[in-house]
Amino acid sequence: MAYIRKRNRRIFLIFLLPAILVLFLTTIYPMIYAGYLSFRSYDLAKLFVPRVFVGWANYREILSSSEFLHSLVVTFKLMAMTLSVQLVLGVGIALLVVQKLPGMPLARTLLMIPMMISPVIVGLVWLFLYFPELGYLNYFLSLAGIDAIPWISSTNWALWAIAIADIWQWTPFVMMGTAAALQSLSPEPYEAAMIDGNSRWDVFTRVTLPQLKPVLVSLMFLRAIDAFKIYDIIFVLTKGGPGDSTEVLSMFIYRQSFTFWRMGVGAAASFVSLVIIVVLITLFFKSLNRDQTA
Amino acid sequence: MSAITLHNVVKKYGAVQVVHGVDLDIAEGEFVVLLGPSGCGKTTTLRMVAGLEDVSGGTLSIGGQVVNDVAPKDRGVAMVFQNYALYPHMSVRQNMEFALRPMKLGKAEMDRRIAQTAGILGLDALLERRPAQLSGGQRQRVAMGRAMVRTPKVFLFDEPLSNLDAKLRTQVRWEIGKLHQRLGTTVLYVTHDQVEAMTLADKIVIMRDGHVEQVGTPEEVYAAPKSTFVATFIGSPSMNMIETRATGGRLVADGLSIPVPTRFGDRVKDGQEVTLGIRPIEIQRVAENAPGAMAARVEVTEYLGNEALLDLRVGSHDLMAEVPADQRAAPGETVHVRLNETALHLFDTRSGRSLAQ
Amino acid sequence: MNKLSTRQTILIYLALGVVLIVFLMPIYLIASSSLKPSPIMFQKPPAFLFAPTFEHYQDLFAMRPFGKFILNSLIVALGSTAFSLTIGSLAAYAISRIRHKRMNDVAFWILSMRMFPPIAVVVPYYIIFKTAGLLDTPLALIIVYSTANIPLTVWLMKGFFDEVPIALEEAAAVDGYGLLETFLRVTLPLAAPGLAVSAVFCFIFSWNEFLFALMLTGSEAQTATVAVMSFWSSDAVQWGRIMAGSFIILIPGVIFVLTCQRWLVRGLTMGSVK
Ligand SMILES: Nc1ncnc2c1ncn2[C@@H]1O[C@H](COP(=O)(O)OP(=O)(O)OP(=O)(O)O)[C@@H](O)[C@H]1O
Ligand SMILES: [Mg+2]
Repeated sequence: MAYIRKRNRRIFLIFLLPAILVLFLTTIYPMIYAGYLSFRSYDLAKLFVPRVFVGWANYREILSSSEFLHSLVVTFKLMAMTLSVQLVLGVGIALLVVQKLPGMPLARTLLMIPMMISPVIVGLVWLFLYFPELGYLNYFLSLAGIDAIPWISSTNWALWAIAIADIWQWTPFVMMGTAAALQSLSPEPYEAAMIDGNSRWDVFTRVTLPQLKPVLVSLMFLRAIDAFKIYDIIFVLTKGGPGDSTEVLSMFIYRQSFTFWRMGVGAAASFVSLVIIVVLITLFFKSLNRDQTA
Repeated sequence: MSAITLHNVVKKYGAVQVVHGVDLDIAEGEFVVLLGPSGCGKTTTLRMVAGLEDVSGGTLSIGGQVVNDVAPKDRGVAMVFQNYALYPHMSVRQNMEFALRPMKLGKAEMDRRIAQTAGILGLDALLERRPAQLSGGQRQRVAMGRAMVRTPKVFLFDEPLSNLDAKLRTQVRWEIGKLHQRLGTTVLYVTHDQVEAMTLADKIVIMRDGHVEQVGTPEEVYAAPKSTFVATFIGSPSMNMIETRATGGRLVADGLSIPVPTRFGDRVKDGQEVTLGIRPIEIQRVAENAPGAMAARVEVTEYLGNEALLDLRVGSHDLMAEVPADQRAAPGETVHVRLNETALHLFDTRSGRSLAQ
Repeated sequence: MNKLSTRQTILIYLALGVVLIVFLMPIYLIASSSLKPSPIMFQKPPAFLFAPTFEHYQDLFAMRPFGKFILNSLIVALGSTAFSLTIGSLAAYAISRIRHKRMNDVAFWILSMRMFPPIAVVVPYYIIFKTAGLLDTPLALIIVYSTANIPLTVWLMKGFFDEVPIALEEAAAVDGYGLLETFLRVTLPLAAPGLAVSAVFCFIFSWNEFLFALMLTGSEAQTATVAVMSFWSSDAVQWGRIMAGSFIILIPGVIFVLTCQRWLVRGLTMGSVK
């Protein structure tokens, strides 16, 4: 039961105010500012000083530029690659580590470590592994009889190199979420299925997966939101190259803004990315509400 | 002077009204129990007195001062919560200290009060323990101690015994009664247990659906219930109710015809639907030819040691009788009983109100 | 689930072994490489037994002011943590206690603030901080990191506050305490584990962050992550030092996982898992 006298409600609102104010000033305001910048052009002589109003010119430019559209394609391609592998691997590992066997809790804990490592460090250690000529990854592969792969120097492989690093860091996230969900499932349907003599695969696809689905959907949206923002690992591994093979949207914005010093174009691209992320965030919250009501 | 006065107090949650114009006057030092079935608004009323809920309408005064808009901390009340609400991160001593600190008494006086309260409640040995290290009964005592140290003008209790087992409940009930006699502080006490109400109260307030049904001493609500609701709610086993029709000075129902007792005078009109109430203990076994004797078939017998409960069937009515154990009868037997005429309660069936003066 | 046969058990452990090797090997590599003498850094097969050397750590602290960068990281992380915890837990308390259907929207709005792509606001930040003269100061990063840390704190603390029985606050109200006092003396102590978990999350996030640190700091306020990266940009890649620096940077995160793993689910999945 709530004890809320009218006076208290006012005090609570005062408690809430600083957070809202700070978030407004540090997040909403910069976004609005980015919106403002996206309608301006810049002078290389006076970097960072927005000059003339150019209307929709920046937007027209990026939307008709193949580079920008390419960066969108790469972003979603990378997202598809990482999410699909993380989903399958994450659920698979979760099924392993929820078994009631000695050592499983410890294994679950150890597997969570990658998530808490700085993405730069993740990038660096994978760079160490991929490093042309010297890296250990190709050496390990050669032990299995696989030819050396030009991980970060080939346009064919660079995106996979990035995806693998991201998959390494974030598969544990799917594993952790799925394991938690699995452990909260009621055992009764399993017992029923066991008595009915269903096969393990049947039980998994007909009983477990449907129950996991809402959780998996939400987890995937969270991963999508993160994958959309990916930056650090690419910065370390390829800086968008070779060519533009790994130039995701973040990289495009970075290069427009800080390599070519075209802040207006960068801002316009930023604004497009904000719109896309708002859609993803909305879908994520929708997915949460759906499994609340279900 | 009244300690607490409620005048037409109303509570609404949005569009839902849960307390409908409660009037109540509590004298200084009085022990008042709010009694009623679950959901009738007892807790809500108590919380309005405490200041934990806003009063939606009417006036609420404590010590003669209108407190509708006074914060809980400035009302001079202390409350014992149903789940005790002891601060789990503080020892027993710290719990009491915490309650005292806003009074700014000084260390020596605080210690004196804590020692005194602990002495009265037998908490001396427990002062350094945390709530988690106490039994249910001990926690209950600490909750009372925390309220007592503040020597408030009014004690508020919300079902303080409901989390205790039956034996402990009886003991703590007795202790609360003793404590009240000793301290003489005004108490407002919420329960849905009528034994607590009957044993503790100077005055019982019986509530139903947010209305006050009746206010009176335990004797009054037992002996002179003002409505069928109070009549059946108070007393165990509860009062038998038979729907009759007044016909030519008699109350008539299937298998039963009883003259209207003269004390009801002309308040019973011919043709009126009257509900007749009789407590099980007021139904006596008599000889077949005794005046007023009615034949009844025994359906079930419950033997309770000193007495026995007989489920009787009279005409198409079920009656419960409480008789001395040696007068019990076997199921299927036909016995003769008489309703004690002086103990009859008559109610208007339509309104449920008592027809007594 | 059905009982596992011995064969199944062995298969499960085998699979688990492979998984563990894959996911822990990079961490082992960082640790071992940071102690390997440079000549055998890339030796194949990798040396498992070698005489460890601390030369990389010595270089790290001698050649560049790495100690200072670590200190910067600490200042920024602790500063942002303190700031976010203060503002975030007050807001979380309000959200937990105001019972109004709009409050859910407010909570979601706050939570969404941490999901926006940092790169999209880097330029505005740069301009704003330049104008304010805050570029290359720890304060700039403290402010920026709070945009992610406040929502996280609000999210976590709301859950913890929801679990503190309101009756305790009511008892304090009757005993004579105002709202703020009740919050500080009753509610907050009882939500202390939440405070600790939020603090650690905020700290690790700030400690690990790279993009803003790279863009908004120069030589003065540079943090450890940026410093480690700079060993790579120089002419020769100084792997030894990179690994030594990386190892130092990953320590807090690893300690966090090992001690507080049960809170990770709550902090990272944002309500996907109940
Ligand atoms: N916050 C609220 N919002 C809406 N209705 C409420 C709220 N709190 C209580 N009620 C309603 O008010 C009525 C009275 O509740 P109250 O808690 O006073 O009952 P009670 O007499 O104490 O019952 P019990 O013996 O079960 O404790 C109930 O019908 C309840 O559903
Ligand atoms: Mg109640």
